[in-house]
Amino acid sequence: MTHDTSAAAPARRSGTPGAPIVVVKDLRKRYGTLQAVGGVSFEIAEGEVFGILGPNGAGKTTTLEMIEGMRPIDSGSAVVDGIDVSRDPRAVKARIGIQLQASSFFDELNLVELLELFGQLYSRTVDAMKLLADVELTDKARSQVRTLSGGQKQRFSIAAALVNEPRVLFLDEPTTGLDPQARRHLWGLVRLIRERGHTVVLTTHYMEEAEELCDRVAIMDRGVIVALDAPNRLVDALIGRGFTKARVERLANLEDVFLDLTGHDLREDE
Amino acid sequence: MFWALFVASVRMFVRNRAAVFFSLFLPLIIMLIFGVLNFEGSTTIQLGIVDEARNEASGRLIDGLADFDYIEPSTGSRDAKLAELEDGSLDYVLAIPPGFDPQIGQESGLVAYASTADPAQAQVGQGLLQQAVGTALFAPGGAPPGGVFGAPPVRFESVESRDLAYIDFLVPGIVGMTVMQLGLFGVAFGFVQLKRTGALRRLFATPTSPAYFLSAQVASRLIIAFVQVVILFGIGIWFGLQMFGDYLTLAAIVLLGSVIFLAVGFSIAGWAKNEDQAAPVANLISLPMMFLSGVFFPRDAMPDFLANITQFMPLTYVNEALRAVVNDGASIMSLGPQLLGMGVWAAITFVVAIRMFRWE
Repeated sequence: MTHDTSAAAPARRSGTPGAPIVVVKDLRKRYGTLQAVGGVSFEIAEGEVFGILGPNGAGKTTTLEMIEGMRPIDSGSAVVDGIDVSRDPRAVKARIGIQLQASSFFDELNLVELLELFGQLYSRTVDAMKLLADVELTDKARSQVRTLSGGQKQRFSIAAALVNEPRVLFLDEPTTGLDPQARRHLWGLVRLIRERGHTVVLTTHYMEEAEELCDRVAIMDRGVIVALDAPNRLVDALIGRGFTKARVERLANLEDVFLDLTGHDLREDE
Repeated sequence: MFWALFVASVRMFVRNRAAVFFSLFLPLIIMLIFGVLNFEGSTTIQLGIVDEARNEASGRLIDGLADFDYIEPSTGSRDAKLAELEDGSLDYVLAIPPGFDPQIGQESGLVAYASTADPAQAQVGQGLLQQAVGTALFAPGGAPPGGVFGAPPVRFESVESRDLAYIDFLVPGIVGMTVMQLGLFGVAFGFVQLKRTGALRRLFATPTSPAYFLSAQVASRLIIAFVQVVILFGIGIWFGLQMFGDYLTLAAIVLLGSVIFLAVGFSIAGWAKNEDQAAPVANLISLPMMFLSGVFFPRDAMPDFLANITQFMPLTYVNEALRAVVNDGASIMSLGPQLLGMGVWAAITFVVAIRMFRWE
């Protein structure tokens, strides 16, 4: 299995959204009596950052994993870059990058060895140091994953998901459990990846994160999509329905206070 | 992909301290301890006596020989005693011919079969034996007067035989044990850990197929097993181990033994959700075999009922085959029963492994 690197590098289509690179139709998954995902449909344009939002147990991760080929699809279809996931999950996996929720790596290998190994699993030779530079982990090149801080782990996890220059990068709750500094730092990384032309699909339950990063969001609840649009249009629509906040929003919030007091710098050496 | 996973797998094993300790260092330490202790220790002459005369003279000779501190006599049939001589359990076999009636100045007709295993020791032993027989025959009340023998009392004949020391028994047993430990602990713990932490799931987020991963795991463990066998043999030979068989046959048995215990390891790894579940099961399987499959001590010493049960243990077959090759120079063709036993176990454990195996 070899890849033409130049062809695999996604082309950035600035401004207007490109052709759909992910097409999901009526996706369903049931665990026993629990309908985890109950008929989900959407399209993701190339170069877009697409967010799947929702409370815990809404079916975000299950939806994501079915699209990734990590979980069998009960019914419906998911097509990624023209390939039907249920028909050829491995061909889909070869074209996408996956950051699993709380994913872990082999403890006995250091970061460079891991990236090289993962590259070889896609039949590629990777420039591990460059990948680490992209996620600002060059000084940890010879460390093991377990010695990294939470934010560093997530960044490494993203680097590992980028070894095959994926057409679509899937991030499952990339900032859960991180402090505000590390979360903002990771946002910067996602924007950088987006600027390079990768399509990004992420799940989160932080609304502020979705507002910062996503071109469009799908809000899920109890296994179905209850709203799908650009964040600001969803907000406009709500206001249009006559919604007013009980408490008037001030120009700053507690997180701004926290960041003002503790600084924007990462605290990873503690 | 296979190669990358293989290299990673070897690297991960070598860097995993617990796995290296239990599967590589523990057998090595045990061998060093037992090798230094050296359970033989006796400097007595192991003398087998075949009494074909069964008369007053032969009885007097046997009683007389038993009085010597440096002689440990045992009696039995000619065939049985010669067999013991060949396999190294006896140093000499003294045959007392029918109609034995020793007279001063005449040939006694006594023949002693001597082991060829240790020529230097044989010289000393022959002198001692001549003296003992002379004393027992002609001077029951004291030392024999000088020059009364017209001929030496005993005529010596060499018998092609092996001088097996404890190290010769121990090394094949330790090799068998290592193969078991490597399969059981080398796979079970590493794999369960990958499963528990989710590293395995991450691996399968790539287009890798499980077959590549499993074959890389197996291949890496086999290579490690062979390296370990080479190390154990090297140290064994330094301690005086004698290798009578060929190394290719030995390698074949190590391979088959590894297959059995890797399958057991994968059964445990596939079934267990975490290391806490895997550890007791792995120990429950390995400990009885370590002590009952003849790793350190011969199974002959066991009570009959125990010996009857333990002969069917997989490690018993492996150990017996290894000893047959190392101690007796057995060829692969002559190992029918052991190979059959190992084959049956390989088939059983393989089926169990497939049944028990779960990726998540």
